[in-house]
Amino acid sequence: MVDILLQQIANGLSVGMGYALVALGLTLIFGVLHVINFSHGETFMLGGLLTLIATTTLGLPYLAALPLAGLGGAVLGWGVNRIAVRPLLARRDGGADVLLATFAVSILIHQAVVMLWGPAPARIDGVPGTFELGPVVLTGQRLFVLAAGLALLVALEWMLRRTRFGVELRAVAQSQFAARVVGIDVDRVNGATFGIAAVVAALGGALLSPVILYSSSMGQVVIIKAFVVVVIGGMGSVSGAVACGLLVGLLEAVLGLVAGEGVATAVIYSLLLAMLLIRPQGLTGKRAR
Amino acid sequence: MRTLFRAALLAAACTLALSAAPRTAALAADPVRLGVINPTKSLVGKQGQQGAVVAAEMINADGGILGGRKIELVSYDTNFLPNEGVAAAQRLINQDRIRFITGEISSTVALAVLQLAQANGALFMAAVPKHPAVTSGYDRVFRLNSTTAMDAKDFDAFLVEQIKPNKVAVIAENSDFGRLTIAGLKKLFGDKVVAAETYEMTQNDFNTIVTKVKGSGADVVCLAGSNMEQYGNILRVAAELKLTAKRCVMPGILNSEGVRIAGPAADGAFSADIYVTGLDNPLNQRFVAAYKARYNELPEKIEVLGFESIWIVAKAMDKAGDATDPGKVARTIHDNAWETPRGTVRFEKNGQAVAGPLINLEVIGGKLVAAKP
Repeated sequence: MVDILLQQIANGLSVGMGYALVALGLTLIFGVLHVINFSHGETFMLGGLLTLIATTTLGLPYLAALPLAGLGGAVLGWGVNRIAVRPLLARRDGGADVLLATFAVSILIHQAVVMLWGPAPARIDGVPGTFELGPVVLTGQRLFVLAAGLALLVALEWMLRRTRFGVELRAVAQSQFAARVVGIDVDRVNGATFGIAAVVAALGGALLSPVILYSSSMGQVVIIKAFVVVVIGGMGSVSGAVACGLLVGLLEAVLGLVAGEGVATAVIYSLLLAMLLIRPQGLTGKRAR
Repeated sequence: MRTLFRAALLAAACTLALSAAPRTAALAADPVRLGVINPTKSLVGKQGQQGAVVAAEMINADGGILGGRKIELVSYDTNFLPNEGVAAAQRLINQDRIRFITGEISSTVALAVLQLAQANGALFMAAVPKHPAVTSGYDRVFRLNSTTAMDAKDFDAFLVEQIKPNKVAVIAENSDFGRLTIAGLKKLFGDKVVAAETYEMTQNDFNTIVTKVKGSGADVVCLAGSNMEQYGNILRVAAELKLTAKRCVMPGILNSEGVRIAGPAADGAFSADIYVTGLDNPLNQRFVAAYKARYNELPEKIEVLGFESIWIVAKAMDKAGDATDPGKVARTIHDNAWETPRGTVRFEKNGQAVAGPLINLEVIGGKLVAAKP
């Protein structure tokens, strides 16, 4: 039993890192722009698709496909921001309009991929090999997801804390008006935030698609979990999203073992409900950073 | 402005002329139009649709039916949704005046369409839907796929007599099909079933489930899920976590796309189905060649069922000497046996197709082949 529990903890952490990577972009955009980006899941899917195209059609090795996916994410993020976010933000009910607009974008992206690439799911071969630590077996790809995810998070945290752009971004998150007063180009910060979030999502898709398989619906599935993670972790909180992503992954795996998958799902959604009722600001308790 | 107006007028006139042209020509040999419904945006829906197209093309290449009339397919997408399926059937019946409906993958869509077909006296040749209720109490409905109960009858005997498991684990999707499979295996093996895990249809990480199954010590693991990306991924995770149990995929599910998704991890997995691409009969060889030439892929069960849905209805129209009366064509389908790529197909009184016994399959070297007896 202890063997299986250890295995489940390892499984849970690797799944949770996936949730964290998707939730991260979502929460970043919410923290800075105060809007919900519904097309985030499709950016994640596109990261997976670009990785698939790079490794099969172009014949590139998996690791070379990652920057390509990130680049694709950046282009998409820039485009979505320009077309469906920036023009609407200035309106009085801009936030709600952006929600609907990005929802429309997500359907457009999904249908376009189904039409142009086809609905077939596909396997992507990631980092090969399996590693055994006593009774615990982890594949090379899962370890890579954990390591790369961690590196990405540290880089992001460093950027937020130590660079001028990070300071600007945090200023805009706190108050757009005050940021404008001190001469920060808010539109530029918004655009860059959107781009960074999209890059993280696309990289998340590229990292996870070898584990969960590429399918055109992978974005729709993952975005729901990401919303749960973001709400429990605290909307707009980066560290909250990461901690909560790992927590949800762990809870799912351990409860799935002890009580069954159905119970695990029920507990997580009950947690979401309880959180909204009792502590709407989320676990970390900061509205924005 | 005037030139623009003239150009528009000319374009409109051309369109009119173009649309009128085939109408006059068609008087000589009016095509026979058949309705096809499928969730064409999904992979399985596309496969079924392509099978139907190949059937129409093969019949037309042979000179058509009823003394030279060609088959024309009128196809609509059902998107796996009952309301869209009903809308598609309504369009066929009311707008296109077609009372022969074929195809479909989903049982819920088929059951919804069935109501409409029944109300309008239309013939419904369901290709893939597996729900028992599809063939219950309407004399113009047919189903080509086998039902889960039919599959189980053959496959249970095979499991008990040939595989002889000591401990069985089941990994099933959380659906009617998955739950029925768990119940069926529990009835068959009793206490020997040491683990029964279900997963959601949207789930994409299976480490938890496979870890539990591995911990149960089962020597045979049965997979019951219709999504190939899911069972393919389960097979892959099983290999990654070094699960040594024999892997059995419940009948009617395993296809080469799933094998491709699983990769080398699928080797050694076994299953059974009503059709395998390599069947040795002339019609199958012709069908496989025609399909390959048209789509550059090899057809499998879904494609064959899509093919049969058009093939049998068209052949029955030819034999009945009638392409307008669904009742007459339905009686002809009931009264005769039909040669298709999977062999001779007959229909039971309720409209259920029956062919030979299930073919045992296994995955060898990344290929899905008929198992050696």
